[in-house]
Amino acid sequence: MSATASALREPLIDGDKGYARVTEDVCRIAEGTPAPSWYAGLALSSAALLTGVVLVVHQIWTGIGVWGLNKTVGWSWDITNFVFWVGIGHAGTLISAILFLFRQRWRTSINRSAEAMTIFAVMCAGIFPLIHMGRPWLAYWVMPYPNPMGPLWVNFRSPLLWDVFAISTYFTISAVFWFVGLIPDLATMRDRASGLRKTVLSAASLGWDGSHRTWQHYEMVYLLLAGLATPLVVSVHTIVSFDFATSVIPGWHTTIFPPYFVCGAIFSGFAMVLTLMLVARKVVRLEEYITPRHIDAMCKVILLTSMIVGLAYATELFTSWYSANQYEQFAFLNRIRGPYRGYYATMVFCNAVVPQVFWSQRARRSIPLVFCVSLLVNVGMWMERFVIITTSIHRDYLPSSWAMYHPTYVEVGTFLGSFGLFFTAFLIFCRFLPMIAISEVKGVLDYAKPHHGGKHGH
Amino acid sequence: MNEKNIDALEAERDDLHLSLRRREFIGALGGAFAALSSGCGLRPPKEKIVPAADLPEGAVPGRADWYATTCQACPAACGALAKVRDGRPIKLEGNPDHPLSRGGLCARGQASVLDLYDSERFRSPLAGGKPVSWAEADAAVLAALKQAGASGRAVRVLTGTPAGLSAAAALEAFLARWGAKAAVYDPVGHEAILEAHRLTHGRRALPRYHFAQAKVLVGFDADFLGAWLSPVEFTKDWSRNRAPSEEFDLMSWHAQFEARMSPTGANADLRVPLAPEHERPAAALLGRLVADRTGWSGPRPPRASVPERAERALRDAADLLAAAKGRALVVSGSSDVDTQVLVNWTNHMLGAYGATLELSRPALIAQGSRAALSALTAELAAGKVGVLVVHGVNPAYDGPDASAFRAAAAKAGLVVSLAPRRDETAALAGIVAPGHHALESWDDARPGAGVHSLVQPAMAPLFDTRSAAESLLAWAGKPSSAHEHLRGVWRRQVFSRTKAKDFEEFWTESLARGAVTVEAPGLGEGRFDAAAPARVKTPGLSASGFAPVFFHSVAMFDGRQANNPLLQELPDPVTKATWGNCASFAPEDAARLGLVEGRLVRLSAGGASAVLPAHVQPGQAPGTVAAALGYGRTEAGAVAANFPTVKMLPIEKEEGGGADLYALSSAASIAVEVLGGMSALAKSQTQDSLTEPFTGRTRDVLRETSYQEFLMDPRSGNPEAEKGHSLWPGHEYKGHKWAMAVDLSLCTGCSACVVSCYAENNVPIVGKAEVRKSRDMAWLRVDRYYSGDPESPETAFQPMLCQHCDNAPCETVCPVLATVHSSEGLNMQVYNRCVGTRYCANNCPYKVRRFNWFDYAHEDGLKNLQLNPDVVVRTRGVMEKCSFCVQRIYTAKAEAKTAGRTLKGSEVVPACAQSCPAGAIVFGDLNEAGSPAARAAEDPRIYSVLAEIGVGPAVRYRTKVRNKKV
Repeated sequence: MSATASALREPLIDGDKGYARVTEDVCRIAEGTPAPSWYAGLALSSAALLTGVVLVVHQIWTGIGVWGLNKTVGWSWDITNFVFWVGIGHAGTLISAILFLFRQRWRTSINRSAEAMTIFAVMCAGIFPLIHMGRPWLAYWVMPYPNPMGPLWVNFRSPLLWDVFAISTYFTISAVFWFVGLIPDLATMRDRASGLRKTVLSAASLGWDGSHRTWQHYEMVYLLLAGLATPLVVSVHTIVSFDFATSVIPGWHTTIFPPYFVCGAIFSGFAMVLTLMLVARKVVRLEEYITPRHIDAMCKVILLTSMIVGLAYATELFTSWYSANQYEQFAFLNRIRGPYRGYYATMVFCNAVVPQVFWSQRARRSIPLVFCVSLLVNVGMWMERFVIITTSIHRDYLPSSWAMYHPTYVEVGTFLGSFGLFFTAFLIFCRFLPMIAISEVKGVLDYAKPHHGGKHGH
Repeated sequence: MNEKNIDALEAERDDLHLSLRRREFIGALGGAFAALSSGCGLRPPKEKIVPAADLPEGAVPGRADWYATTCQACPAACGALAKVRDGRPIKLEGNPDHPLSRGGLCARGQASVLDLYDSERFRSPLAGGKPVSWAEADAAVLAALKQAGASGRAVRVLTGTPAGLSAAAALEAFLARWGAKAAVYDPVGHEAILEAHRLTHGRRALPRYHFAQAKVLVGFDADFLGAWLSPVEFTKDWSRNRAPSEEFDLMSWHAQFEARMSPTGANADLRVPLAPEHERPAAALLGRLVADRTGWSGPRPPRASVPERAERALRDAADLLAAAKGRALVVSGSSDVDTQVLVNWTNHMLGAYGATLELSRPALIAQGSRAALSALTAELAAGKVGVLVVHGVNPAYDGPDASAFRAAAAKAGLVVSLAPRRDETAALAGIVAPGHHALESWDDARPGAGVHSLVQPAMAPLFDTRSAAESLLAWAGKPSSAHEHLRGVWRRQVFSRTKAKDFEEFWTESLARGAVTVEAPGLGEGRFDAAAPARVKTPGLSASGFAPVFFHSVAMFDGRQANNPLLQELPDPVTKATWGNCASFAPEDAARLGLVEGRLVRLSAGGASAVLPAHVQPGQAPGTVAAALGYGRTEAGAVAANFPTVKMLPIEKEEGGGADLYALSSAASIAVEVLGGMSALAKSQTQDSLTEPFTGRTRDVLRETSYQEFLMDPRSGNPEAEKGHSLWPGHEYKGHKWAMAVDLSLCTGCSACVVSCYAENNVPIVGKAEVRKSRDMAWLRVDRYYSGDPESPETAFQPMLCQHCDNAPCETVCPVLATVHSSEGLNMQVYNRCVGTRYCANNCPYKVRRFNWFDYAHEDGLKNLQLNPDVVVRTRGVMEKCSFCVQRIYTAKAEAKTAGRTLKGSEVVPACAQSCPAGAIVFGDLNEAGSPAARAAEDPRIYSVLAEIGVGPAVRYRTKVRNKKV
């Protein structure tokens, strides 16, 4: 692939680095002794994870009654968290696959971490449908497997079953894609390592020899996987949205949901990538790899998806008004004016208003501001899922059944625990694997360009 | 099973036989079954199952036997059928052959089967709180009786009105033997009616009311559809004129003047809030107005003023009453004799005596008096009583002055209690000689002249108890079994008055039917004393404070069943509150006092006080405070005091079951103090109106019309639903197609169906904290909606249960096919397949699905004996809901198959429909032409709730019709 060099375009990687320097910069993070801040982070996140584990064990031991759900609100934080984490998990594959196909080469600095993030987020997401079941020990019943009970089949009409397939496929492809992308870098690290690390890396890099043939095969596999993963980016959240769209509950039963959910997912996914990258580049000193240009580009994606999400909010309101359906209209009025109005207001503010600051380039390049916005977007997107799920069912058709939902400490702690899992996994990833795709970054260096100036005498 | 095992089991069975009587053995077997079915969590507990090799004659394992008996939950004595499975009664249903109740059974009656398995029952006689043998207890009682005679102290029996001939005969025998006197006092008395009839008709008698004969009906604070006198009988009668017909203009008009919103008022065509102090003036005014219209020439009571709205309504009512002379009825629940005199006068002018109410064959319940109790208390306080035997009453809790009684009782030589279970009075007793539960004893009841209803045991006594009649007879020196005693009494007093020839034949037939009616000597209606109305005084208006309206609620009545979790968890038909009482205020009073729901208030009068959470009640008369009696019992047991539910979060505290208001109930005025604290009501329904907030639009869920519009167009108020388009042809139902129709005009909200459903389907009880979290498990609930002016709203009830949709939204979303459609239109929940995603519940537009958040309490092995073995006890983590009593459908199918015929859908009666005294619920097969269910589907009043979603519910409703003559 030839890189297009433009004098007008700033280089993607700062510091005028050579190949060796890139290898050194990335590998050192995984090879050296971690900084105290890493240990501190791991301690915090694993404490959160442990809290979550204890509470989940308590919940499974005692019953879902330890949550705040009731006869009217059968899902709330559990499925909110599920959709939230699936949404977060969207950015990685989008960055690696779609941006790859679109030749967006700035993706190279962030795609590895974003993919890792995707995998961990999908793991976090997967926990919730599992533990939200009344009898999670029978969770395997949602898989169509040969069994002696008839055999008893699963219900192929159920969107929850589609979820099972969608999420597991997405997780599998994302993991494979991530691993395939890792192979050349693992080989690089293998070549620098010794002892046990070398043995493990040798096995993991699948005998990579860096030959022309290997590279050719590799590039083809990567391209094919990108092609395979691309529809999944769209399908996963489309199918998650079907959980709601195919129901009969006003506020859920909406045809706009698939694009609305997908955009929201990309929106929140990019925000999470930004949150993580802004911290990581500082902590492990990767500022020259993840430059303000990268951040700028991601902010633009956030701005675009924010506007799509905002449009979706407006469309929903218009549709409910235009439908002349009493229940539909009430569902939306209740979101805006009902007891959960604070959640709705936060959602609109965080998702549709705050990202508008990214019209300004100065804002896009101000790291603290971008960090704050990325956090707010994630808060807003969590609120969005809560608003959709909870406010729709807490006051549905028959007023006699209207009820309020309040989370208990178990739900809050379990959500915290999912963050614990996410960050623990991410920190371990940073410690043992190259955070940046070494081989891909090398491809966007100035050196890699055909008309690279002869300053260095190549 | 190998040889050795069989040997071992047989040896074990023989051992069991040595120690157990046959019935007990069956009971134990049932217990083992219940334990098995309830314990099916992850894996079933290991237990030995012993084959029932020697069964009682005629018993078939797994087949239910039905015994006709009489419900003893209140004095009304409705006919009941006890369903006995494998030796234990598991359900009470209405007896269609009973002359009074004719099929229905109220919530308390339905729940009373659980009283049988109450852990707080006495298990043996007690002396000084220690278990003793019956011989020891009898010896102690006899010694005390002899000593009382020797020392010249009196022997007294404190009892309620004896329920029937057997009890009365036993009491007489005891009184005669010891020269004792009985003080007859009824906790739920109707003395004012008795007294008023003494004044107006010269006879202290309680009339029998015939609501079915009344075309125009005016009630003053008489909750005859809720808890007043004989609500099942009255609901049955009242409902006969409430379903409008296109052909005959027969619908009655019912006006209710009352202070609190009672279930009866909620069902009236015209309801006028009226404070208690206006009741007598209102009755006087109505009498004068009727007098004008009927040409009454005698003296009249003085004019009195009533609020303007009430006056207008009274004028209209008087017009209609006078026009319906002979088919009109005025009833009053007032405890004021003057008011009752005025009501008698009005009824007399309307020609009601002998038509809509009858003194000739009076009701024979609640004949006691409070004066008898006061006199006894005085005697006790003076130390004149050597032995006091207490039977069937609990004055230490519900007496007019309970503390005085407690203090006085301490001075008796010996207090003997015949109570079957712990109560406040038994706690004072030196000797407790515990009686049986009604389902264990031979007894009878005589609720009205000429009506004799039998109580027969449905199981051998669970504990070492003895029927109260046996105890009295034993102490009278005429020991006899209750069975022989009852037969003897019946042979002498009932059989002799029938045309039957052979007593044994008569007896067997009576037992099978449950009740007999004999010609009672007609006493005549009596002569009305024309001077009586003029002797009524005009009352002075109460000075300050709130007028107390303390009432007997549908669930708790006078508190005798306070330890029954079914009743504690039953939402009040009007407030929808469970597990405790609340102080209801009119909206304007609440606004003035700054009260919100749940704010604690202290009610006090004359040194007594009670703290209750407040409740704002639309339609309540301003200046009144209303609250249910029967709560706050201290000696009733764990459930009444503090129900130990699933304890999940250690920070959660369970609260006690409400406050005792008996000490305040005789006060004329109550001071209300608003306290700082809050105690949220545990309500099953928190939204009271079908009118949406924000939009002000009303949801078309509960359809109504007026009778006048209905007569012009039977489809009025019930526009045809738009036919949706479907790409799918729909299910085909070749055999049966089960369906239900609920008549909203007939449903009174009495909630008998709710309790019946709980008892039939082993629905878990969850306790106050869980109800507060909106986690009640009712498969069938009664939604109550107000509309219109909050000062005087219209109320409607709507039973809501699984609608068994043809295109069920729950069925499509379950990932594991745990809820599926049957070929007969049932929406079936497969508990053991359910993994508990709750998606089905979320997607249910009617929100009728219930999730097992925890493993609900089934630790009480005794209570587990009530579980219906035909219905699985659900484990935690699974969804459950109404099954249309699928177990009854299958039992009926099996019976039909055995008999070699095809099942007719109308043979299947689900628990809710069976219990409904109003006959509001019709169940059956839509494919059975001409069946009530199929005919209901053609009714112009029929509609589906939320038809526009297109789910095609199998439960349909008939519009509520209000008679708006005025």
